[in-house]
This record gives sequence, structure tokens and C-alpha cells, in this order.
Amino acid sequence: MPREVAFHGVLMPGLVPVLIISLVLMVLIDMVAGRLGLYRHVWHPSLFRFALFVCLFGAAGLLLLR
Amino acid sequence: MSAVPSPEASTPMAPRWPWLAGFLSGEARAWLFVAKSLLAMYITGWLAMWLQLEQPSTAMITVVVVMHPQSGMVLAKSFYRAIGTVTGSLFGLALISVFPQQRELFLLCLSLWVALCSGGATFYRNFMSYGFVLAGYTAAIVTLPAISNPLNAFDSAVMRVSEVLLGIVVSGVVSDLVLPARLRGVLRQSARAQFGQFIDFVRGSTGGSIPRERMEQAHLAFVRSAVQLEDLRSSVIFEDPEAHARSSRMRLLNQRYMAASTSFQSLHHLINRLQRRGAHDVADALVALYRPIGDALAVEPAQQHEPVWLTERLRDCARAMPAHVLSLRDGFTEPAAQLEFDTGAALLQRFADELGDFTATEAALRKPQIRGSVERVHFRRGHDYTGAAVAVLRTFLTMVTLSAFWVASAWPFGASAMLLATIFAGLLAASPNPVGAVMNTLYGYAAGMTMAGVSVFVLMPGSEGFVMLIMATLPFLLLGPYLSTCDTLPGVGAAYTLGFLYILALKNPMVYDPEHFFNDAIAQLAGVALSALAFVFLPRVTGSRWHRERQLRRLREQVTLVARAPLEGLAWRFESVSRDLLQQVVAHTRSDSDEARELLAWSLAVQESGRAVLELRRDLAAGDLSAQGRGHVDAALQSVARLYQMPAAEAWRRADREVLAAIGVVAATPRVRQHLHALRSALHDPDSPLAAYLPSPLTEPADAA
Repeated sequence: MPREVAFHGVLMPGLVPVLIISLVLMVLIDMVAGRLGLYRHVWHPSLFRFALFVCLFGAAGLLLLR
Repeated sequence: MSAVPSPEASTPMAPRWPWLAGFLSGEARAWLFVAKSLLAMYITGWLAMWLQLEQPSTAMITVVVVMHPQSGMVLAKSFYRAIGTVTGSLFGLALISVFPQQRELFLLCLSLWVALCSGGATFYRNFMSYGFVLAGYTAAIVTLPAISNPLNAFDSAVMRVSEVLLGIVVSGVVSDLVLPARLRGVLRQSARAQFGQFIDFVRGSTGGSIPRERMEQAHLAFVRSAVQLEDLRSSVIFEDPEAHARSSRMRLLNQRYMAASTSFQSLHHLINRLQRRGAHDVADALVALYRPIGDALAVEPAQQHEPVWLTERLRDCARAMPAHVLSLRDGFTEPAAQLEFDTGAALLQRFADELGDFTATEAALRKPQIRGSVERVHFRRGHDYTGAAVAVLRTFLTMVTLSAFWVASAWPFGASAMLLATIFAGLLAASPNPVGAVMNTLYGYAAGMTMAGVSVFVLMPGSEGFVMLIMATLPFLLLGPYLSTCDTLPGVGAAYTLGFLYILALKNPMVYDPEHFFNDAIAQLAGVALSALAFVFLPRVTGSRWHRERQLRRLREQVTLVARAPLEGLAWRFESVSRDLLQQVVAHTRSDSDEARELLAWSLAVQESGRAVLELRRDLAAGDLSAQGRGHVDAALQSVARLYQMPAAEAWRRADREVLAAIGVVAATPRVRQHLHALRSALHDPDSPLAAYLPSPLTEPADAA
């Protein structure tokens, strides 16, 4: 994947689409976990979600910049 | 600085001085908020400098604006702020690329945009309104500094958006991760309180007769809790994925609650009317029919508010009702009394079913897992277009006056003044007393600027590095968030912090320019003062007598709407808009005034008649009426719609005549006949405000059968 993407002539970091994809993924995970009540088994749900998002985005970003 | 008082200090004293414990826990909450705000502010400032953003102060200001003790509020506000910022900067860019060299046209269009956005903001009472204000003033923030050099506008926009988004992300993360105060608990508590209150009220009123005043107070309490729950729900869904997954069910619960409370009120009005007219046998039969519902709700105190239990018992009760109705109906031989009884029995059956639906939804919500999907319903708000138009006009005039002054005087700091006037004219338009709020803001702003002067010219020049920066600003910054937790000084704290950060204009490396400082300070204060002037000249209409009368008329017209609007989703729309309108107006009336009483009386009449009209519309749509019957029922509905649109004795007589004629025609379909009778009975209610239009002496509903 390119390090920079052109969007209508504006150069953006390649991480922006990755960020958007991870955000969408996070929303999907939240929807499923929220319906099933999975976050009740976690001590600090928002910390867990934040960490999960960092993992998602970090992993995808590292894959991109490899 | 300790965010939480040490346990040694508070525990041993608590039993001896309870006020001290209360005071300390309040202080602990306040200082926790101060600590979180400052933490978020400094992290944002540091990151902004590290990322080499142009104005770290903008990012820090975002934190101030977004921070709130409850994390759901922060996230909701952040969400709308992000949308508003992106929209506003895109529009600002478009505007500057259309008029790069036409300052007058550019300022005119910008004023129009900001004005339209602040008008849109008046439509919402949650943070959506804040998003609108932001979309307006971000366009100004992005373009005004770049106006003399349009080629910079794009960079300026990118910088502003990055700074604002950085501030949003940091404040969201800090408030949600560091000792979060959850709004979800508040929502759950008030939802349970609402449920318990309603169930208790229903259980406690099986005696049949409730005095009108008590009913009005109960109605007001029900309306308040319905609107408040919706407000809370719209913020909590940002905080908690579980609440988000339950969002549509919570909406449905609220709608079912409103539907059940309308049926409940209609039923009680009917029984009250029967008792008043001396038809005690019918009233007693209905009370006897009603008692099983009360019995179904009367379980052991431990399970009194357990929806699963209640649902089962209510369903059994609703199933047993038709047989009970048949046995009681045998006691009436007169057709008129039979019709009265049938109308009441149908209402009771509806109420039992709706109450069962309500408790079933509550039971599903309390389960740890959510299965399947439910009908999507919305809580509609009653929009006030005239109020919005006044807001548009006010902001537009403020902006145009300021731009004209700026262009004519070539004031170098005109952009600052304009920006501040825009921000506060938009942000404070929704407050109950805007002039007072602007004055509070002005004092806070001036105090913040003075402190910033001390900090920037006395403490900061000798300091070096980020730690020293914190030391030089922290003592002053502490004050702002702390003041904003004091309810006695609304707006002062936020204004103090804003003024402090705005004029401090942190940069890396820092620029010290006393001349710029004082010029900018004067311009900004002038901007804030000018927004006060705008509120003096064009006061807000919300809450004025004229506005209250208009809203009352709109409340009445809800019946007209129910009679004429397309049936799709009409039930939800009617129940929520009529309550939202009542809540809007009641907020501006004294609770014991004649006006408040009149309003409540109208609201009850609108709920009752509107619901009867709605049931008739459904009957018409079901299509089991003859063509002649349809024509008559439709004519009756139209005449009732006209009566509520323009209450008058003539309209009342006409509506009564038409409804009576329709009752005569539809004898073959008992369902429609009962609904028509319920409507007619509501028209004849001596307690309702329609009684003023009744021909005197009071005529009893004639024998219709």
C-alpha cells in the first residue's frame, strides 16, 4: 500500500484510510459486543475498547508501513 | 494538588458532621474534574507542540469547551463538534475559493452561513445544536485569519481541523479512561424510577377516581421523565456500546410508556365523567373491570418493579378481560349505558395491552443480552420555526454590523472581535437568560485575560521547557474548571479558561508581544460585549408570552395533525411531539400560575382527543366501513380537527353534531362506534378547556343509540 494517497488531488497519509477502516471495524465489534453484553466481563470497558482500538490500528498501520 | 481528599480526613468525621462528608464528596468530584481537565489540556498542548501544529492554543481551547464531568456528555459533544468542525471548514474553504478578492460578498455570505447555522441550532436541545453552532463559527475561524491572504486558507483549514480533532481525541480519551463518571448509571436510575413511578401510580389508582389536579401533576411528571429519558439516551449511546445496542429498544420503551400513559389518562377521564354525570353503575362496573390490573401489579414488594413478573401477570389479566367484560355487560340493558360501558371496556383492554407491552420491553432491556430487532421509532421534537428565524436574523445582523465596521474602519483586530461575537452569539442563544449569560461570560473572560497577562509577562519569560510552562500557567488554570463546577456562577468558569487560553496564544517557540496582546484583548472583549448588545436589541423569543401562546396553539394543532397527516408513524409522532411541546412551554411558566394550569388542561385534552382521532384513523384505514360510514367518520374527524385548530362555540357545536351523526351511521361496527363515542365524550368533558365553548347549560351527551 502507498505511504501517501491522493484524494481529489490532495495528498493524504496512507494511514488515513487505515484509520477509517479500523474505526469501522471497531464500530462493528462494539455492536456485536454490546448486543451480547461481552463488555460486562471486562474490568474497565472503555480502557479495554481503547486498547483494542490501538491494537487494531497499530497492527494495520505496521502492516502497511512494513 | 490532590484530586481526592485523603480517606483519613473524611472517614472518622463523617458520622459526627454529615455536612462535612457531603461537602468533601462534592469537592472531591469538583477537583477530580479539575484534574482531568488540566491533564487533558496539557497533554493536548504538549502533543500539539510535538506535532508542530500552528496554534496549540486552539487545541487546548477545544478541550476546555468539550470537557464535562460526565464522560458520555464529553463523547457526545466531541462527536458533534467533530462533525461541525469538518463541515464548517469545508464550507469556509468553498466560500473563500468563490470570493477570494471580494471581501464584502465574502463577509455577507459568511454572515448568512453562520446565521443559518445558529438558527438550525435552536431546533435541537442536545449537543446536535452545538454541532450546528460549530459548523457556523468554524467557517469563520478558518477563513477570517486567512482573509488577507486567501492562498493560506487551505493550510489554515487543515491546521484548525487537526488542532480541533486533536483536542477532541485527547479529551475523549482522558475523560473516558481516567476515573470516568458514567452517565449510564444516571440513565439506568432514571429509567427505573420512571418505570417504578408509573407502575405505582397505576396500582394506586384502581379506586377509579383521580382528581383533575392530581392527574395534571402526574401527567406533567410523566411528560418530564419521557423527555428527560430521551435527552439522556441521546448522550449515553456515545459512552457505552451496550446502551448503543439498546438504543432502539429504549426509544420503543419510551414510546410505549407514552402510549400507555395516554390510554391511562383517557380511561380515568372517562370514569370521572361517568361519576360526575351520576352514571355510577357504569363507572362502578368499569372500576371492577379495572381492579384486576391493579391486582396484577400488586405483587410482593421485592418484585413490585420486576418487569418479567409484571408482564406475565399483566398478559394473563389482559387475556381474562374479554370474559369479564361479557359477564359485567349483562348488567346493562339500556343501549346508552351499554355503549358507555363498551367504550370504557375497549379503553381498558387497550390500556392493559399497552401496559403489558411496556413492561415486556422493560424486561427485554434488563436482560444482559439483546436478541432480535425491534420496530424503529423516533422521538420527534416540536420545532419552533419563528424562534429559529429570530436567531438567524440576530446572528446575521450582528455579523453584518461587525463586518461593516471592520471593513469601514480597517481595524487590524476586527477579525478577533468578529470571531468572538460569532462564537458567543451562537453558543449562548439557547440559554434561558442570554444577556445575563453574556455578562457572566464577559466578567470571566476579562478575569481570564488579566491572569493571562500576569502569567505571560511575569512568569513565563524566565521559564524554559514544558514543565516550567505548566508551573507558570497551572495556578491560574486551576481556577477555571473549578469555577465551572459551581452552579452559582454559570458560564464564568468556562469563559475564564477560554479568555486565559485565547489571549495566552501558546506557541512553540513562544512569542511575547505586549502590543498585540493588548490590542487583541480589547478586540476580543469588544466582541463579547457586542454579542450582549445583539441579545439586548433582538431578545430571544423562546419563553416570551408570544412564544408560549404560539406553542400552545401548536399543541392544540397536534389534534389537527393527527386527523390529516399520513398515518405512517403518526402514533409515535403525535405522542412525542405533543409531549415535547408541553415540556418546552411548561419550562417557561410558573408551576402554580393560571397559565400553567391552562396549558396542562389543554395538553390532557389534546392527548385524549388526539388518541381517539388516531384510533378512528386506523379504523378508516382498516377499511371495514361502508362508503357512507367512511364519509361520516371523515367529516366528524375534520370537524374535530377544525375545533382544535380554532376553538369556538360554533366549531364545537358543529363537531358535536358531526360526531353524533357518525355514531348513528356506524351502528354495525361496534369498534368504530366506541371510538367515536370516546371522542364525543372527550368533547363533552366539563373539566377540559373545551368546556368554555360548550353551550350552557351543560348538555349531557344525548342518547346516541
